Parts: sequence; structure tokens; C-alpha cells
Amino acid sequence: MNPAALLHDALLVGAILFALGLVGILARRNLIVMFLSAELMLQGISVSLVAWSRHHGDWGGQVLVIFVLTVAACEAALALVFVLQAFARTGRLDAAAWQALREANLPRAVDHGLPAVDSLPLTFPRLTPAGVLPETDDELLQREHV
Amino acid sequence: MSDLVAGLSPGMILSAAVAAGALGLWLLLPRGQRGRAERVSRWLGAVLGVTALVGLAATGRRLGGLGEEAVFLLVSIVAVVSGAATVVCRSPVYAAIWFALALTGVAGVLLVLGAQFLGVATIVVYAGAILVMFLFVLMLAQPAGLAPYDRVSNEPLLSAVTGAVLLGLLTLAIGRVSAGPPVCCRLPSKAAALSGSEPAELPAAAGDALAADHVARLGAELFGRHLLAVEAAGLLLLVALVGSIAIVSRGTADSAPAGGRAAS
Repeated sequence: MNPAALLHDALLVGAILFALGLVGILARRNLIVMFLSAELMLQGISVSLVAWSRHHGDWGGQVLVIFVLTVAACEAALALVFVLQAFARTGRLDAAAWQALREANLPRAVDHGLPAVDSLPLTFPRLTPAGVLPETDDELLQREHV
Repeated sequence: MSDLVAGLSPGMILSAAVAAGALGLWLLLPRGQRGRAERVSRWLGAVLGVTALVGLAATGRRLGGLGEEAVFLLVSIVAVVSGAATVVCRSPVYAAIWFALALTGVAGVLLVLGAQFLGVATIVVYAGAILVMFLFVLMLAQPAGLAPYDRVSNEPLLSAVTGAVLLGLLTLAIGRVSAGPPVCCRLPSKAAALSGSEPAELPAAAGDALAADHVARLGAELFGRHLLAVEAAGLLLLVALVGSIAIVSRGTADSAPAGGRAAS
């Protein structure tokens, strides 16, 4: 196997994974998907490190990847705790729910053209009509699902 | 196909591939569109993404044997395609599943690179992480349909362009680095050892990564030269554990009396 070509191709794969994770963490708003994107960036880094380790014929890169795994485990524990707390406080997994923390000179992010709830038609079971029509609590039905 | 690729300069192929990738990612990212528009942009984005992938694969080098090349291509395509799907999937459940598949691809790449222990450890460690992620999604996700924040993105065009610019610069740098002589010649590289330009005198601790007793050598290196770092990593794990438990318990202790006061 051509070592230089293997290094080049593996570094390319690592770079693509890192760039994809970067796009995900910049663009997505779900906190869990943002977390997965961060993990994807770490995977790209791991591939690059192992490629260099193979190229230079020493263990430094692989040892570093083991530490990356360790730090990723710590990061997962803390990040999931924060996600859980954020969800407990806002009822949403939305990063924009915390935009009150933004800089004072930045504009507020507003969602355009989106209904507040997913407007799937509500379907009810077909039953034999009996008695009076029950009153439906519109506010309860239209409330955003938690 | 090959003479068409040969007729173009590598820089043109690279920039076209990166631009196609940016446009494809922009089309694939959730932008609040629905129905037919969403389907059309998904298909267009997938086509553009595959184009970008082919272009980037054209900038890659030939690995040598057909079998090696096929295996590497397979695992790297699995990793990259499922990584892209992780990023663009609307539902966090599907994102977690795609991420698991991306991990499988990454583990395959690591195995091809000769890191047997890390290839297996990635799957073992992240299987637990994915399971936890699933539990979180099941606990927290919306039971009915997708949430509004899953159907929109922050600045999808700018994000995709940022990623594409980063990828283009990285690819250029990679091509320059791996074309020249090894940057760091402190340890004799495998290529130099094979070509005989440098005496292949590897230290006993830094053995060949492809040796049969791979895990034993990795463990000796880890617990020999990096023993202090291992201790520090253990301390880091302990601190993260204690910290996360402290944050969880303080959060519930804070919110419980507040809820009680609000009720009363």
C-alpha cells in the first residue's frame, strides 16, 4: 500500500468529517443534533491523528486519540447534563430558546413562515354517535407539545 | 471519465466539488420548507452532494492494490455519507442512527489505517454514547411530529459556505503536505524506511504500528511514556462525573422549591 497516498486519503476523509460537523454545529438548532455534530468533528480529528500516527510509524497519534475518547466521554456527560437542564427550564431542545444570552448589539433571531405547531390534522377514532358532542379544549389541543 | 478528469486542473475540480458540496448541504439542511419543495430540494441536494463526493474522491490518490482501494473507498464513503446525513436529518432519532453508522465507517477507516484497538474501542465506547443519546431523544423529543426548531436552521447558506471554504483550504493543505517530504523527521517515517534513504532504527517503544502484538505495544506506550497523562485523564473523568452530578442535583433542588412556591 502506498503510504503517502494512504495518508492523503485518510486526511481527506478526516477533513470532510470535520467540515460536516462544523456545518452541523453552526446550522442546526436542536441541542442533541449539535452535540452529535461536535462528536462528528472529534471523529474527523481522530482519523487525522491515526493517519499521521501510521505515517510516522509511532504511537503518539493513537495515544492522543485515546485521550480524545476520554475527553469526549467527559464532554458527553457534561453536555447531556446541560441539555437536560436546558430542557427542564424551557421545555424545548432549541438553542434559540437561549438567545437572551446573546450580545446586546445582535438582532433577535426570528423564525419566518413557520407555524407555531406542526399542523398535522388531528385524527380521532370513528365511534358510533351517542350523546352530545364533547367540548374540546382548543387551547389544550393547540398547545405546543412538550 | 478519466480523460475528462485529466483534462481539468486539480484546482478546478477541487473548487467545483467544494462549491457543489456547499450548495448541496444548503439544499439538504432544513430550511422550513414543506411538501413538494422539500422533496425537490432534498433530491437536488443529494445529487449535488454525490457530485461533490465524486470530485473530492478524484482529488484522492491511488492506494495501490484494487482490494485495498475498494475497502478504503467503501468505509470512507459510509463514514462521509452517514456523517452528512447526521447533520441534515430533521429528526434527532434518525440523526443518532446515522451517527452510529458514521461511527462504523470511521472505525473501518481506523482499521484500514492499522489502528486495531482504536477501531474496536470507537465502536465499543460510542455504542454506549449512542444508547444514552437514544434515551435522551426518547425522553425529550416531541411525540407528535417534528418540532419547529428541527425544521429550520441558523443561517444554512453561510454555514454551508463556511464548511466548504474550510474543506477547500484543508484539502489544499493536505495535498501540499503529503506531496512533499515528511514535515517531521524526528522519527523515521515508514516511507523513508522503505526507500532506504534513512536508516530504519525505530526505538523499541515506538514500534511499527502494524506489529502483531499491536495492543500490547500500544498499552506499553500508553502506560509507560504517557503515564502522567493517563492519571490526569482519570482525574478529568472523576471531575466530570462529580460536576455533572452536582449540576443535576443543584438544578432539581433549585427548581423544586420554586415550583412549590408557585403552586402555593
